[in-house]
Amino acid sequence: MSATSSTTERAEAQSARASRWSAWRVVFREEAVELWVGGRAINLLILYSVLVGLMTFLLATNSELNLIPPKEMAFLTLQNAIFFGVFIGMIIGADGISGERERGTLEVLLLTPASRRQLLLGKLLAALTPWPAAFLISVPTLVVVSQGNEVLGHALWLGGVLGTVLAVAFAGFGLLVSTWSNSNKTSMFVSLAVWLLMFLLTQLPGEVQKGDFGYLVQRINPMQASSEFLEKVLVNNRTVAEKAPFLRSSEIAVVVVLALLFLVAAPRLRLVAGRAHRGRARWGSLTGVTAACLLLVGLAAVLSGVGAGTAFGAPLRQAAATDLALSIEETAVAVRAGDSVDFQSLLENNGSENSPPVILALNIINLKGDVVDPEDWSPRRTEEVAPIAPGDGVRSSWTVDAILKGDYMVYLVAVPQPTGADASSEPVASNGLHLSVGAFTRLNPEGVLPVVIFVPVSVAVVLLLVVRLRLRKLSSDDPSDDEIVDA
Amino acid sequence: MDHVRSGSVILRSEGLSKSYGRGLALQDLSFELHRGRVMGFLGPNGAGKTTSIRILTTIMRPSSGRFEVDGIGSEHPDRIRSRIGVLPESLGLPNQITGVEYVTYFAQLYGWRRGAARRRAHDLLEAVGLRSKGAKLIRTYSHGMRQRLGIARALVNDPVVLFLDEPVVGLDPKGQQDLLVLMRDVAVRRDAGIILCSHSLADVEGACDDVVILSAGRTVASGPLADVLADTSLEAAHRTALRLRVPNTFVRRASEALGSLPQVSEVSTIVDGQLRVVVAGAAGPLPADEAANEILQCLIGADVPLLGFEIEGSRLTDVFMELTRGGSL
Repeated sequence: MSATSSTTERAEAQSARASRWSAWRVVFREEAVELWVGGRAINLLILYSVLVGLMTFLLATNSELNLIPPKEMAFLTLQNAIFFGVFIGMIIGADGISGERERGTLEVLLLTPASRRQLLLGKLLAALTPWPAAFLISVPTLVVVSQGNEVLGHALWLGGVLGTVLAVAFAGFGLLVSTWSNSNKTSMFVSLAVWLLMFLLTQLPGEVQKGDFGYLVQRINPMQASSEFLEKVLVNNRTVAEKAPFLRSSEIAVVVVLALLFLVAAPRLRLVAGRAHRGRARWGSLTGVTAACLLLVGLAAVLSGVGAGTAFGAPLRQAAATDLALSIEETAVAVRAGDSVDFQSLLENNGSENSPPVILALNIINLKGDVVDPEDWSPRRTEEVAPIAPGDGVRSSWTVDAILKGDYMVYLVAVPQPTGADASSEPVASNGLHLSVGAFTRLNPEGVLPVVIFVPVSVAVVLLLVVRLRLRKLSSDDPSDDEIVDA
Repeated sequence: MDHVRSGSVILRSEGLSKSYGRGLALQDLSFELHRGRVMGFLGPNGAGKTTSIRILTTIMRPSSGRFEVDGIGSEHPDRIRSRIGVLPESLGLPNQITGVEYVTYFAQLYGWRRGAARRRAHDLLEAVGLRSKGAKLIRTYSHGMRQRLGIARALVNDPVVLFLDEPVVGLDPKGQQDLLVLMRDVAVRRDAGIILCSHSLADVEGACDDVVILSAGRTVASGPLADVLADTSLEAAHRTALRLRVPNTFVRRASEALGSLPQVSEVSTIVDGQLRVVVAGAAGPLPADEAANEILQCLIGADVPLLGFEIEGSRLTDVFMELTRGGSL
């Protein structure tokens, strides 16, 4: 009796300890070891490094033709690194529970004293482990494409933080779908479809992303909003504070996904996700929760957008257009193709009343009459200026990338917002900046090919080393080399 | 009939029922399992075996009724989980880790610290006969070794009740025998109660002390195996045939000898070496057990080696077929 009761008490005490403290750590370690030593994480990272390398190489090759500036190269590389990096976590998360169901390993896990939340936490953290490695792998490529530009530092810390937020959101989403799916096929399909939808929206042409609906989608979609944030901050010299509203959807996505995962899905985690005759209800709830999730993100994003827009929405008395004066503080610059020209403009209100809101637009004219596509020359060609008080002025910074050899005139136009649908306004032009562009003298960027080859090869070497070390450890642990037969 | 049971009640089920919508998967399941005893769970497909096991292992909640494990009520599933071990039918194992790592992992989930968990894993692997294979990757294990590993994992928390769902499926005869011996050893040495779900009636008959037979969600028989056999076997008056097994070369001699007995009305060959003998008196069929001794003496007198002998209708198979109306396992 005493021996039995002591065994029982010990078992209960151990179980209580397991459920209270360390189960998530045990699950995390086991999952991480299986992920990394089993080779799945490294295989995905090899694919990732090849993919990011390939896209960077294509960009670099393309840049020899149209000379994408280093800032934009860094932004595009970082964007690809984040999007494909979080994809790895999502795929691993999507296998987390449905994979266990398929392999028949979930039942014994559910029978342990570890709480459902601890199981999910351990799995989520393990699914996140490839992200830092993925980001690290992208660093050499970022260093090369940024070509010594100061954008590298910004790209690294912004990419690290934003990528981590997105990685949690997407890995959590994959795991969430996995808890509701009986098969990996379903959870992978749903996760992939959502990722693909969000990713494809970021690839739409700029004009499709404009307009009320375009901006709404841009704010709801964490990928698109993150992309917009990174582009404005890294390429267009905007501040983090200025573009912080674009981070809102990512933050909300993380909160919503984690809340659904740990407060809704974890307590309901079962051996079988719903039942056959309740299939419709299950899919209904899945769809409902996903829709609610998107709605929440959208609502919050819209709300944040409303706040940002009120300054422009307030009724103002408008000054006459002729009271505005626009000037560029340079008159002539000579550069070589591939270089960038930074200059400032000054928009002054010389009237006695507030000016209306103004759009500043940059334009470039080839003095030989050839057609110029200004979008290739400048990542930012317009700027919205809030109403200017009488006697005040607004300085704006502009960058023009010298794409092709030739003789050009760069100028700005200030377009006051008309007062109504049937009203017009009188644009004001600045003085011209005469831009003389000499011949292209260097490749842009240099040395990307060795990097995009070296990185995947290095990851593959790491994989081989891990496998080799594992085999060596197994062989040293094994007391016998006998052929395995039924014991 | 009174039977001495080896220990206190370790698992008690009281009127467990489970319904899915209007369908009743399990109805009023009640039984007691004692320490150190093995209970067989039998039933045709869809009889409610899996539902019963999932309820008793806390994976599923019953619609009504309750159960206790080691005095802990089913209202406390977390505490029950710490006292039971389960070897599910569809046991999945990770392929990329070793047997020691696998058992160590579960020992840690049950609250053992890493070093102690590793030592426990080694002990358990030794107990199930996998000591020398513990450092091998699980993907190199045979089916039998995987089942043993599953049992080692199920024992990691010193369970008072061990549930084994179809543990011998896919094993060769030697593997089946070894596993059943191991199971009995666990019951005796660890003083644990064991519930064995099996499609093999011979396994249950040979390895279990108690039995529960389910059919269409209802319990059609439960209790000590001997009692169930005695209570449920065809009534003696209806057991009018014997089955004999003799060497092929002695079939003819046996048939001739048995045919000369006045109590035997018919001798037929079932398959090579197996004879069916129908017993009859002057007024009609006779209970086979009344003529059994004379039939045996007849064969011995005719120098026929006897390889097998049973009264038709007295085996678990017969009882199962009778109770489940021929349900397939």
